[in-house]
Amino acid sequence: MNFRRMYKTFTVGASLTVLSAFVQGNHSSSDPRINMPFKKMGLTQEQAAAHLLSRFTFGATPGQVKEVVDMGLDKWLQQQLDSKLPDDEVARRLPDSSYDALGMSNEAIVNTYLNAGQVIRIAAKNNLINKDSAKNLDKPEYRAQLKAIMDAQGFKPQQDLQRQLVNQKIIRAAYGQNQLEEVLTDFWFNHFNVSLSKGQCQQFVMPYERDAIRKNVLGNFETLLLATAKHPAMLEYLDNASSVSNDNDIARKQEAGAIARLEKQKMDALAKDSTGASAQQIQKTMDARKSQGLNENYAREVMELHTMGVDGGYTQTDVTTVAKALTGWGIMPLYKDAPGMKLIEAAGPALLAKKGYVVDGDFLFRADKHNENAKLILGQLFPVNGGYNEGVQVLQMLANHPSTAKFICTKLAARFVCDTPSVELVSKMTDTYLKTKGNIRAVLITMVNQRQFWDEKALREKIKSPFEFAISAIRATNADVQQPFQIYNWVTRMGQRFYYYQAPTGFPDRASYWINTGSLLNRMNFGLAFATEKIPGVKINLAALNDNHEPESADAALVIYSKILLPERNLDENIRRLTALVKDANIGQKLNTAANKIAPASVNNPDNMNMQPVSSSDEMIAAQDAPLTRRQRKANEKAALSRKNLPVTTLYVAGNTSTLAQVTGIIIGSPEFQRK
Amino acid sequence: MVDRRAFMKSGAMALFAAGLGGVPSFIARAADSRKILAPYKKNKVLVCIFQRGAMDGLMAVSPYTDPQLKILRPTLYMSPAESEGKMIDLDGRFGLHPSLQAFSPFFTEGRMAIVHGVGSPNNTRSHFDAQDYMESGTPFSKSTSSGWLNRAVGLLGHDAATTPFRAVSITSALPRCLYGDNESLAINNLQEFAIQMRGNPLASNLASKSFEQLYDQTTSDILNKTGKESFDAMKMLDVNNLKKYQPAPGVVYPNTAIGGSLKQIATLIKMDVGMEVAFAESGGWDTHFNQGAANGALARNLKDFSDSIAVFWKDLEAYQDDVTIMTMTEFGRTAHQNGTGGTDHGRASCLFVLGNDVKGGKVYNNIKTLNKEDLEDGRDLPVSTDFRSVFSAVANGHLHINDNKQLFPQWDGSSLSLMKSI
Repeated sequence: MNFRRMYKTFTVGASLTVLSAFVQGNHSSSDPRINMPFKKMGLTQEQAAAHLLSRFTFGATPGQVKEVVDMGLDKWLQQQLDSKLPDDEVARRLPDSSYDALGMSNEAIVNTYLNAGQVIRIAAKNNLINKDSAKNLDKPEYRAQLKAIMDAQGFKPQQDLQRQLVNQKIIRAAYGQNQLEEVLTDFWFNHFNVSLSKGQCQQFVMPYERDAIRKNVLGNFETLLLATAKHPAMLEYLDNASSVSNDNDIARKQEAGAIARLEKQKMDALAKDSTGASAQQIQKTMDARKSQGLNENYAREVMELHTMGVDGGYTQTDVTTVAKALTGWGIMPLYKDAPGMKLIEAAGPALLAKKGYVVDGDFLFRADKHNENAKLILGQLFPVNGGYNEGVQVLQMLANHPSTAKFICTKLAARFVCDTPSVELVSKMTDTYLKTKGNIRAVLITMVNQRQFWDEKALREKIKSPFEFAISAIRATNADVQQPFQIYNWVTRMGQRFYYYQAPTGFPDRASYWINTGSLLNRMNFGLAFATEKIPGVKINLAALNDNHEPESADAALVIYSKILLPERNLDENIRRLTALVKDANIGQKLNTAANKIAPASVNNPDNMNMQPVSSSDEMIAAQDAPLTRRQRKANEKAALSRKNLPVTTLYVAGNTSTLAQVTGIIIGSPEFQRK
Repeated sequence: MVDRRAFMKSGAMALFAAGLGGVPSFIARAADSRKILAPYKKNKVLVCIFQRGAMDGLMAVSPYTDPQLKILRPTLYMSPAESEGKMIDLDGRFGLHPSLQAFSPFFTEGRMAIVHGVGSPNNTRSHFDAQDYMESGTPFSKSTSSGWLNRAVGLLGHDAATTPFRAVSITSALPRCLYGDNESLAINNLQEFAIQMRGNPLASNLASKSFEQLYDQTTSDILNKTGKESFDAMKMLDVNNLKKYQPAPGVVYPNTAIGGSLKQIATLIKMDVGMEVAFAESGGWDTHFNQGAANGALARNLKDFSDSIAVFWKDLEAYQDDVTIMTMTEFGRTAHQNGTGGTDHGRASCLFVLGNDVKGGKVYNNIKTLNKEDLEDGRDLPVSTDFRSVFSAVANGHLHINDNKQLFPQWDGSSLSLMKSI
């Protein structure tokens, strides 16, 4: 029994349903029964297992289709929905010694992994620069001194935090046992996108994924929505932390006092200084104080992108009013020298509570910055003085709105079934969503219980995102990835710089976004570089995948490895085409022609024109081996040409593991491997 | 200059002759139809730059004489006055942000037109929707599957089958405006445009052929079509030749995303690969928070943007008669500043058109005042020029496309007269 889930269910008062869960055994009562109609749709158990694995994991590992069939598809799915399998391999690959930040609180991170502004303040404090000449920091001599100071005080660079974030995602996706949880973490993070490209939220992205997203991916949508809304990363990313109002009693008193004080200062200044310069300065402060206020950014996106969808039936007035309802939602002061920290400590919890402030972890509701007027949102009245709960109720209303149910279910179906899911499928899922108040597990079970999920039109219909593609290659070959950041560089090059997508929309989830001329060539190149172990830190034992039996010919290698890497696919045509190619009678002549060509330029040569901004982390220095000398190249070509009379090409020479790797690379770069 | 161009052409011929073994299918097609490969007749090139996130047009090009502006934007207001940010005065009414200094000579020489109050008749303030509408060119119809630039390619009027580089986007994914039936390419980095196995050209070539076969027979339409385009393009853009097309002496592109994109577009123009439409994008314009005035986030972005365009123009000295650059952004920002020193999503913004075909030196506009009664919803600079009247004018005047009904279906407005030829 999952006690955490039990506890949550109790708190919403549904004790009866929890009692019945005891009777039903190991799944929660609000979940429909798993009843997958794959046989009706003409699929064998093996085909169904392969399809399930292709959608609910980051790709099948060798032999996994058989494992799932042996275990039973229902049981496997239930295990994934429960998401409690031990993850020793992930733990082993993410040791505390190099992944210390993964367990840190927001507060610890803010005080350890400093952002650019904090670094400048430290530099200024230590007289390395004065505040106005921050650009000096780029000079090497300052950088060295700054690094020494930061090391001495136990501070660490941001890049290291981002390295840990990126690497853990790759490790969990490649080696985690609870694959569905990881797939959904990817999905929901993208749905509630925040971005490392925005400085203000950078430090919080890692804890955001860990605390707001991953914990809630198989729970209730409302819980997930609230967790994201209250997390510092989202509060900064969509500016809600700085959206404030003085329409409340506390502020009106404070403000009157403050303005009166400034007025007096201004009069004093005017009396002293006839030019009026300092009085003007004070007036500016007063203007700025008055114009402090509402920011609609989060309110708009929470309706358009997180819940109801753009056609969900809300107006510009609704957006503005939701923004007002969420004024005062902010972040606890976290930096140890921050002035706010002292104020909060001085006030103490009792006084804060009395005044209507709410502290929940790192979330802080500031009663003095909340608009306390009555509000009308989507036709529902929210009376005056609603305080913190008003915003919660607004988000709950959004989470359970019929437009939201439809929007979320459409998006889930587009991720798990096909780019344009049928109306019938979505409407079945939407019914479950509304019936269960947004129970994500129940919606997913409803989805696999529909014929549309198993329809021939849905099989292999989705194109893998670059991340899914790279991870599926790691899983399909049992590759050992020692430097995950190298995989990140490739995924970026293939068009998915994850954690950096700037727009709140997240990456579009459709084939036409991922597949274009440039990205397709990069996918083929990834296949080749990966399988031939040209990506630093990637180790693959191809022979082991075939129980150390060596294929006897190119044909055999093609057949055997195609089946290992692409289980339950019809590969006859693929193999026929490639076999024809490797048996081409004119191959000798073709090799001659090819030998006269120059090697393609390195992707990392000094002429590299890629200016896409990337992190300065040393590991970004990408992935190719050192350039061969002219002599080595000649020798290679000669060696290859000397084999020209062999019946097969350099693509495969029995006993030559590097040629087996090339065959594998071609399978990974092939169109079939792009599909899931 | 003439010699240089002649050299460029023969260089491109050589590039062709030395193409990776085998005749690219587009050349074969051209040979069948007895078209002469020159390799490419010098065509006009339109370069579009999308400023994603909605540029604050009121700050980039400021109607600084309007007394309301100072009231609405107490800490953001700027004017040509020394004490108010030293904007560059354009015509006594509008001032150019000092960070757009690089545009100033273009405007003075009459090569650059500025259009202000531009936007979409659809009043959505969602980035996603507004970009979608501006790129599809149909502001009230989401279901339009093609983009306006793709339709423009189809309307160019000469044979389209000869080059895969006719429409190129320097992005990792194809932008909405290039969706459609006419072949378009997205290239993030020209260098990566080859099948590569380091130090092993034989294996590269064989792998390349294998992939070509596999993508030729896949049942997935998108993989099949894109695969074919990829291999055609790869054969033509031989990456070994790229270094011959480095920036002109003394030309240094800003080391930024937009600088890098324009550098690659310049390379493609110099290579004479037959490109007629190019697209690039620039980000960071969504300035909700502390956008700054003469200095700050917006100022830095404006400087990068204008410096990159100016350097690009200089790099293309020999080609300037053939190139027009047009910028665009999905909407403008609120006339008033918000409570956090920034501006929220608004309606109209401004755009820039640079080229020798342009009737420049003028701020085209129908802007009234910023008085509350003249603002849309009492808060935003209203759209007084439909973006389609600018886009169509540039397409008509530079690319000689005349069918505005097909270019912008559902629109019967007229084009703005900002190009010399119309």
